[in-house]
Amino acid sequence: MAEQKKIPITRISRFFASEDFSLEQEMGMEWLHGDMNFTLVLFSVDREKSDVDDVYGEAGPEEIRYKAPVEFNAYVSIAEPKNSSYGSGLVNQMEPGNMTVSVYMKHLKELNIDVSYGDYIGYAETEDRMRYYVVTNDGRVTSDLAHTIGGYKPFYRTITCSYVSPDEFKGI
Amino acid sequence: MALPKKLKTNINISPRPPQPQYDSGYNGLTTPNRRRELSELITEDGTYLPKSILHADMDRGMLDFVKEKLDTSTSGKKIPVIDRILTLQRWGEFSQSWSFSTEDKNVSLPFIVVVRQPQVVYGTNPSLQYTIPDRKQFHFAKVPTWDGNRKGVDIYSIPQPIPVDITYDVKIICNRMRELNQFNKIVMQKFSSKQAYTFVKGHYIPIVSESISDESVIDTEDRRYYQQNYSFQLQGFLIDEDEFEVKPAINRSLLFFDTNTSHKKTGNGSPSIVDQSQINIYNKNKFRRKLDFGTDDTTSTITYAYNANVNLVRSDNVSSINYKINGTPTEGKVQVEIGDVLVVTIVKSGSGTASVTLEEFIYS
Repeated sequence: MAEQKKIPITRISRFFASEDFSLEQEMGMEWLHGDMNFTLVLFSVDREKSDVDDVYGEAGPEEIRYKAPVEFNAYVSIAEPKNSSYGSGLVNQMEPGNMTVSVYMKHLKELNIDVSYGDYIGYAETEDRMRYYVVTNDGRVTSDLAHTIGGYKPFYRTITCSYVSPDEFKGI
Repeated sequence: MALPKKLKTNINISPRPPQPQYDSGYNGLTTPNRRRELSELITEDGTYLPKSILHADMDRGMLDFVKEKLDTSTSGKKIPVIDRILTLQRWGEFSQSWSFSTEDKNVSLPFIVVVRQPQVVYGTNPSLQYTIPDRKQFHFAKVPTWDGNRKGVDIYSIPQPIPVDITYDVKIICNRMRELNQFNKIVMQKFSSKQAYTFVKGHYIPIVSESISDESVIDTEDRRYYQQNYSFQLQGFLIDEDEFEVKPAINRSLLFFDTNTSHKKTGNGSPSIVDQSQINIYNKNKFRRKLDFGTDDTTSTITYAYNANVNLVRSDNVSSINYKINGTPTEGKVQVEIGDVLVVTIVKSGSGTASVTLEEFIYS
């Protein structure tokens, strides 16, 4: 297979070069992974092995097959719980708000994982309580300035997830 | 007042003569060829019963219809159809479109997707209105059985299918007008008579074209693309095999009847000979004779070839009766011998006919 063409990034090189980018990234990762140490578990759905319905492509909680779970570090922010109901104020339900995960792209590459739309992420809320979220925006497109260091190069992804009930995914 | 023009005054209820569209001739009594063929499609490769048709089967039928009948190509390249009804499961949505996605995992244009409206409402299929209450079972087939000893049949019955309407939005998303045109041409040709048919488990199910709308994003600032929505209504029906019934029919009929055993010739209850005379014979040597008298008749004559005691047992329209044996009036007991002539004279209680029934006890 032909090697992919690489284009050198030379913008703002008078003030900020690849060495600076790497340094900033290393420092950030050390803070996030070493000091913060928010740990998540990625359950990447195996779309070929999952036992899906012929018409809808759906699978029950016992029928979803996922690749080996991988632990990764990221910055986690969970919105306040939502108090809602199923039917015009009746059948109340209270469930966690959406989770926003900011993860270094380098970290994902080191772990050789990718987070895709529809994958499940587990977050240990307490020692005996793991909650599961489904990826609603895998943050794959990082073209905006906020995901770069001074416009030099994107270095992290913002992944948003919503809570899933055990009826959809039970994890481990 | 004149009869309304639409009133038919002469209806031919006799079987129609053979019709040219049926090779073997449709006489109104036998099953036409085409109807038999359709019936065989329903039960093909299975039991004698039709197969279940549930929501998923109709969804599959719609997907197959879009894939096969609305197959569209432009510039020699086929426009891919997402071969699933997309549902809430996000990874399922992704997994159906990965084969034609970009580096950012977005679906490549052009493509066609079928979106089902989740609600399924009571159907408008005219052949299946709410005509039969309470899931009544109807005869579908008689199936021969053989248990090793007896031949019989099982009766297969099914309830009336339930009509349902399902609305599908078939969306084409593309970048070029000619792709829209091509797809539109195919849809228009297919639905030139407003409806087309999909084939689900041996049943032809109509799909009616409802509307076409444009949802294209043509904005100055954002990415532009065409998106058109073709709304179709599938007029299907539900057949659930859990509702089928198989019942054994009559495979042997036993007819019981009872008889008076006192007149058997032999065996228990038969007459016995005791001291050269028969016993256990009821009404032995008794004979009943009915004498009918016309409107103007009052006399009847009987010549006896045996000895008998004669009694009156029944009379109709008779007020009194007199007997004469050989011309001699008889009072009380009437006893005749061989060769005697008995004249019976009646007096009617009213006009018209009359009758008398005599019981003769024959003696030797």
